[in-house]
Amino acid sequence: MGNTSSLLLREDEIAQIQEKTGFTPNQIERLYSRFTSLDRGNCGTLSREDLLRIPELAINPLGDRIVHAFFQEGTGDSINFLQFMQVLAHFRPIKKNKDLKLNSREQKLKFAFKMYDLDSDGKISRDELLAILQMMVGSNISEEQLTSIAERTIFEADQDGDQMISFAEFCNALERTDVEQKMSIRFLN
Amino acid sequence: MRGAALAVLALAAVVAVGAANNVPHLTQNLASQRGYELVEDQSASSTEEPAGGNHKKDHDRYPVFSVEFARVETPFIIGLWIFCASLAKIGFHMTPKLSKMFPESCLLIVVGVVIGVLLFHTSSGVQVSPLTPDTFFLYLLPPIILDAGYFMPNRLFFDHLGTILLFAVVGTIFNAIAIGTSLWAVGQSGLFEFDTPILDMMLFGSLVSAVDPVAVLAVFEEIHVNEILYIVVFGESLLNDAVTVVLYHMFEAYSEMGPANILPVDVASGIASFFVVALGGTVIGVIWGFLTGFVTRFTHQVRVIEPIFIFVMAYLAYLNAEIFHMSGILAITFCGITMKNYVEANISHKSHTTVKYAMKMLSSSCETVIFMFLGVATVNNAHSWNTWFVLLTVLFCTVYRFIGVMILASLANKFRLHQLNGVEKFVMSYGGLRGAVAFALVLLIDKKIVNLQPHFVTTTIAVIYFTVFFQGITIKPLVRILNVKRAEKRKPTMNERIHEKLMDHIMAGLEDVLGRHGNYHVRDRFKRFDTKYIRPWLIRDNKGAEPKILETYSKLTMKEAMEYMRRNASTIAAFPGTESMSTLFRNCTQTNMDARWGSGVRRAQNDDPLFAALAQDSFSFTQLDSSVQNLDMQELEYNPSKKDLTDAKIHHLLSEELCKPRRHRRLSYSRHAVNDRDLSTQEVNYKMHMNMRHIISGKHHHKRSKKLNKEGKPHVSFPGITQNGSVKQFTHDYINEMLEESDSNDVDEARPSTSGLNDGPEGGIVFTAKSTPTNTDEAVVHTEDPHPKDPGKRSSRADSEEEAVHVTPTATETVLPWKRDDEAEQCTFPLKQQEFPGWCSNKEYLAYNSPSSTFLGGLDQPKVASVIGLFRRESTVDQEMARADAAILVIEECPASPVPSVVVCGTPPAPPKRPSSARRGSLLELGASVDPIPEEEAGTPESSANKSPPWAQRRRRKQGACSSSYEDFRSNV
Repeated sequence: MGNTSSLLLREDEIAQIQEKTGFTPNQIERLYSRFTSLDRGNCGTLSREDLLRIPELAINPLGDRIVHAFFQEGTGDSINFLQFMQVLAHFRPIKKNKDLKLNSREQKLKFAFKMYDLDSDGKISRDELLAILQMMVGSNISEEQLTSIAERTIFEADQDGDQMISFAEFCNALERTDVEQKMSIRFLN
Repeated sequence: MRGAALAVLALAAVVAVGAANNVPHLTQNLASQRGYELVEDQSASSTEEPAGGNHKKDHDRYPVFSVEFARVETPFIIGLWIFCASLAKIGFHMTPKLSKMFPESCLLIVVGVVIGVLLFHTSSGVQVSPLTPDTFFLYLLPPIILDAGYFMPNRLFFDHLGTILLFAVVGTIFNAIAIGTSLWAVGQSGLFEFDTPILDMMLFGSLVSAVDPVAVLAVFEEIHVNEILYIVVFGESLLNDAVTVVLYHMFEAYSEMGPANILPVDVASGIASFFVVALGGTVIGVIWGFLTGFVTRFTHQVRVIEPIFIFVMAYLAYLNAEIFHMSGILAITFCGITMKNYVEANISHKSHTTVKYAMKMLSSSCETVIFMFLGVATVNNAHSWNTWFVLLTVLFCTVYRFIGVMILASLANKFRLHQLNGVEKFVMSYGGLRGAVAFALVLLIDKKIVNLQPHFVTTTIAVIYFTVFFQGITIKPLVRILNVKRAEKRKPTMNERIHEKLMDHIMAGLEDVLGRHGNYHVRDRFKRFDTKYIRPWLIRDNKGAEPKILETYSKLTMKEAMEYMRRNASTIAAFPGTESMSTLFRNCTQTNMDARWGSGVRRAQNDDPLFAALAQDSFSFTQLDSSVQNLDMQELEYNPSKKDLTDAKIHHLLSEELCKPRRHRRLSYSRHAVNDRDLSTQEVNYKMHMNMRHIISGKHHHKRSKKLNKEGKPHVSFPGITQNGSVKQFTHDYINEMLEESDSNDVDEARPSTSGLNDGPEGGIVFTAKSTPTNTDEAVVHTEDPHPKDPGKRSSRADSEEEAVHVTPTATETVLPWKRDDEAEQCTFPLKQQEFPGWCSNKEYLAYNSPSSTFLGGLDQPKVASVIGLFRRESTVDQEMARADAAILVIEECPASPVPSVVVCGTPPAPPKRPSSARRGSLLELGASVDPIPEEEAGTPESSANKSPPWAQRRRRKQGACSSSYEDFRSNV
């Protein structure tokens, strides 16, 4: 299947993707085969439903948000392969000599930040944080307790006192975290 | 010098052990000297037999004293060993230079060798090494491994499990075979001058190739390399046990059979047995781990036995695996890893602490004993040294370790996200220390089957010494030179915890999108399974999907609360359970910071100062109960109810609370639970008692104020608190009033002849606050004046309470030292205070229980402000002076009611005549017998009223607010 799908990608497309995302041609072909296998309608694009059809992703507490993140780059309800690859490129491990903008530490953090920031105002409000917490922690914990956790978290990160976490504050809070490692995935060659 | 001390210590230990060994003989000798008939079989029960004979023959009477060492010999010697080893450990940590340079393991081995040498020369008989394989494997090793498994960072371990397994399995096999064959090959050349059968060499290679968890732990805990490096090396040392065990047993069996008889079946079953040993051990461990979780689910009724389950069940897992010849180390490691999450959720916080410390204590003492035994075991006469064999073994061990790590690391890097770089590879190879496991294994070899066993023992010891000493000592500087990334120990913040969880979910989701089954995917799956099926069964109150987030939250909140209390120590007062007398004063202070209350106080003072003080007092008490939730002292509000005030009065009347005889330590006793309330109650009484005593004595204030002056900085500082001078001052005065009262009572009691002139129903106690011009030096004296009495008297205060109430103005002054103007006599008095018990001057105690920042802060200031001092001073100065500047408070016993009504007798310019003159008269009468202090620096009443005395000016310069508000207070009075 990998062979057949790779035939569908033209050389110049691969080169273009490679240039934009930094993936090697091998990786691109491999990912393209995954892309096509996810693409049930064979229309060359993925819809939200296509992604949510992945059983594991469907039960991932943040599944919706993750899928949503894929569609932030594109405009419509579907993404093409290039857009798909651009999202994935955030998770390439950082190599010292090659620095592409997509997989920098900041981009990785930005991706995580967008998970929270539903209204894209560049700030995580208490309710946004609470929503994520509810998704992750589940229903066994009282609303009250979660709220206090959320408030505590914001209080901890908030530097300018606006009761929100801005992106800069978010980066500060994760200063000591090895984001480069944590938000990287090894793409097979 | 330390070394000498250690040697002495070791010598003492040796003497003790030697004596212990000799005691049985002594008793035997004694027995025979006395003409006892020793029964033929006296091996073990030699001391008991004579007793029997004795009874029959009826020669001796019942012995008053008898020695029977044989009965306790074994446990006694064990205890002695542990004691010595622990003492040695203390010794190292008292010598920072030594412990900085050498790892603990090295030093322990050295001490072991020293003891071994001494033992060897003192005991003529065959010295059996205390480190038998059974002791090691059954008792010493399990605690260490359990500790390692239980506190294993699970996530890190499983993230790197692939690499760890690669090193543990492939690396160890490679090392064993390479070392074995190399030695055999060299042996063929005849260099060793003895036969080197291939199987024996392989056996030796397999036991000497294994990296030792104990040694690795001992060294790596000290060098603090980054966690990935640590987990890879340490994980390898744990998991290679299965390989070592299998290889060892395999080659042992083969050499027993002889090379000729080995069939391919044996090889195949050897390989198969590896999986049985490794997987079997793991499965047993996991099962016991789940069982432990399940059992602790039901222990909430009997909290005290919670920890024992963790220890016993883990140990059972270990033994259980050993029964089936499976890897006990794997079993106990995985038992710890498995049980941890469930157990931690079930057991109480205190049990958690208990488990943690007990485990650390056990493992560290076992480790200590192991290294020490290793040293002792070195010294024996069964060594057979072969230089080439030893040298080549050391060389091969090192070289193959490096080769193996380099190859396997680059192999692992192909599959790893985090690439192991060159420096890390180097540290990994360098950290491959050999240790006691190899030693215990080599001792297990049967000499009859493997002739070279003595050589193996010697060489193993040499290898261990080389790795532990050479590599162990040099690894620390090397890590520094190579700039290996160090570990940073820290607790995750809330943000980190939540965001990292989020990232985990993102990555898991991403792996799903990519259709790969990586780490995140597997973890996610396991977590779901765990949450859905396992946790409900094993955990009493299941907290939902992300217990870690909650855990972090509660930990952080707890920490913050603690931090808050630590910084704002004075607010601790607001929490019940820590009440103390000082707390009460502190609360007064806080209360006064509230402006409203402050004005209230002033108002109260205007008509009734002592009553105000009482009100404050009562406030403190109500505060203890009501203000738990009110941390911010600025927000404290006081609305004294009638009940409060009555309570206060009653409390004041029966201020027994302060001097109540100490209650019985334990109020209730239960074998199955520790009631915290009992303990704390006791503590509170004790503390209160203590605080009162020490406030009354005033000694510490004096002592510390001196010290503070010297050092120029306060003993304790509370950055969170800005000290309000007026408040402080007020508190001081209040305290001093209290003290004054007690003082007078005491002195009354002590010297009935000089007091009690005016005993009668209308008798009251005079409190005067009076400032006298005086210099700072004198002030210091004053502060310690109030207690020329025996502190022991305090305890009898309660009894004297009744009496005290009726007592008239006291003649305290007459007996007080500063009344005599000669300096010499003044100086004698402080000596008396040496009678205070030791704990009074215990700094530790002071640091934690000292009244408060306000008190301490006050110590910086000259203590002249002390009302006590003023009061005393005043009585010696002339009457005019007194009237000018004194605030006289009188408690008058009201004939009508038992509750004393409190009256202000006047403001300084015109004190009411009746009470004050009466009191004063009596005072003067008494004072007449003593030389009055010449009032050279005493100003006129007017001048001292208007312009403050020199000390006050100094104070004012220093702390304007303080003195001015003090003046304010005084003028109000």
